Amino acid sequence: MISVSNLTKIYGSVVALDKISFKIEKGEILGFLGPNGAGKSTAMKIITTYIAATEGEVFVDNMDINKNPIEVRKKIGYLPENSPVYKEMNVKDYLTFVARARELPPEKIKERLDWVIQATGLESELRKDIGELSKGFKQRTGLAQALIHDPEVLVLDEPTSGLDPLQIIDIRKLIKDLAKEKTIIFSTHILQEVDAITDRVLIINEGRIAANGYLQDLKLKAAAYQTTFLSVLAPFKEVEAELKKISSINKIRLIEKESSENRTSLKITSPANKDIKEEIGRIISLKGWQIISLFDRDFSLEETFINLIRKSKSQGEN
Amino acid sequence: MDKIMIVMRREFNAYFNSAIAYIFVVVFLVLNSAFFMNTFFLTLTADMRGFFGLIPIFLAFFIPAITMRLWAEERKLGTIELLLTLPIETYHIVIGKFLASLAFLKIAIAGTLIIPIMLAKLGTPDWGPIIGGYFGTVLLGGFFLSIGLFVSGLFEDQISAFILSMILCLFFLLVGYDFIITPIDGWVNGLGTFLKQVISMKSHFDGIERGVLSLKDIFYFITMTGLFLTFNIFSLEGRKY
Repeated sequence: MISVSNLTKIYGSVVALDKISFKIEKGEILGFLGPNGAGKSTAMKIITTYIAATEGEVFVDNMDINKNPIEVRKKIGYLPENSPVYKEMNVKDYLTFVARARELPPEKIKERLDWVIQATGLESELRKDIGELSKGFKQRTGLAQALIHDPEVLVLDEPTSGLDPLQIIDIRKLIKDLAKEKTIIFSTHILQEVDAITDRVLIINEGRIAANGYLQDLKLKAAAYQTTFLSVLAPFKEVEAELKKISSINKIRLIEKESSENRTSLKITSPANKDIKEEIGRIISLKGWQIISLFDRDFSLEETFINLIRKSKSQGEN
Repeated sequence: MDKIMIVMRREFNAYFNSAIAYIFVVVFLVLNSAFFMNTFFLTLTADMRGFFGLIPIFLAFFIPAITMRLWAEERKLGTIELLLTLPIETYHIVIGKFLASLAFLKIAIAGTLIIPIMLAKLGTPDWGPIIGGYFGTVLLGGFFLSIGLFVSGLFEDQISAFILSMILCLFFLLVGYDFIITPIDGWVNGLGTFLKQVISMKSHFDGIERGVLSLKDIFYFITMTGLFLTFNIFSLEGRKY
């Protein structure tokens, strides 16, 4: 549905996007993830034809966005960053304006208005000026405006930023519901957001793609080592001496606040894809110590994200 | 055409969604009438010479206030991003905004029609110069609006847009006066005369105001308006790169 190849955008001497390429199939949701200033918004502005790329091509539904900008715009619903809206208009007039500008036939406008108002939960705010709305309702107005013409593609730039937790859940649910029939790109700098909405993710950092794929695969890719936590009733020195016999352990660190004279809590680092729990358990039961806990921990999303970004950075520097 | 109307309607309504429009019309009318009445009671003639003599100066100050928000506000709020990603050609949007501001200006000017009505009651005015004067005012208004619209597109800040538009409008007005032209001619021989004869709006406006509708004068205003609207379109398209 959307195909981006070698997209480059240079502002003066700043390279905002550096040859990024990716594809999104019809019906997919893609989470665009990256730190602030990574180039997410720039890529979205190019796809929606707001700005032009310095180099590279973008096709939406097999149409070149440079040759057919008007046709491309018809297919896209766009929520720019911070959800800009005309403050002096009321919600209903604003949505009607967008519907007309989007060439909805007059007999369909009412039907679509009713639908988006209901879908975004704006019923109670219709007569209010947008400037008076709370941040959450303003964001929903922006979303309603993007949906009014029932577009095939939705481009949402940070759709949940600045909302409270309940509103975030609502908006995420709405995006998920919409995904059944639409192709969606949304951006965020929060990894949980991607996890909550979709599993297809594109991570960009400093204008380059740091990772592109499914969240599960990326977690594996990012996890170069794993962490195991052990808590045992025995003095630290003895435990340490025993554990050093296991060759695949890289590092042993004492967690002091959970340890005492007779109790040792350790954080053990070892290469990924090698399960060291069995071996630790065997050694400890041989010594007859009592185990309080032994578990390893999945990489958190944050760690995955940070690792991937670090990796892409060091690759870039080499 | 439909697209232009859609943009124009939203833009026109936006004027009346804030108090600024009402304040603007009232101040415009009060100042205009006050200045007119002053000369009217002094000369006691049933014509609008004094009124149309001052209108270019009034427009040079008031029109930047009409146009300053047209693009600057969209840029500041970020709504320009929504507007320019609607399936509407940029020139449709520019023309729509221009026509909205022109419609608003016409309302303000229509308010001054009380003066010719009063003149008709008091005496027998010569209608030629009055009709010509109003026609010229609308043409000149359109020209200044196109300057303001273009300048508004260059700024995020409305005050900067206002000031630069005003300076540009005053430039096109003042280079028609000899007291400005003579020193310019002194610095660069011929430049002042060139400005007066080719660039200035004054001689063209004076012609129409006398009730003489010459194609040359009408052509001047339409060309200049078209020129600045084109600049506006180019500057918006250029923003993409």
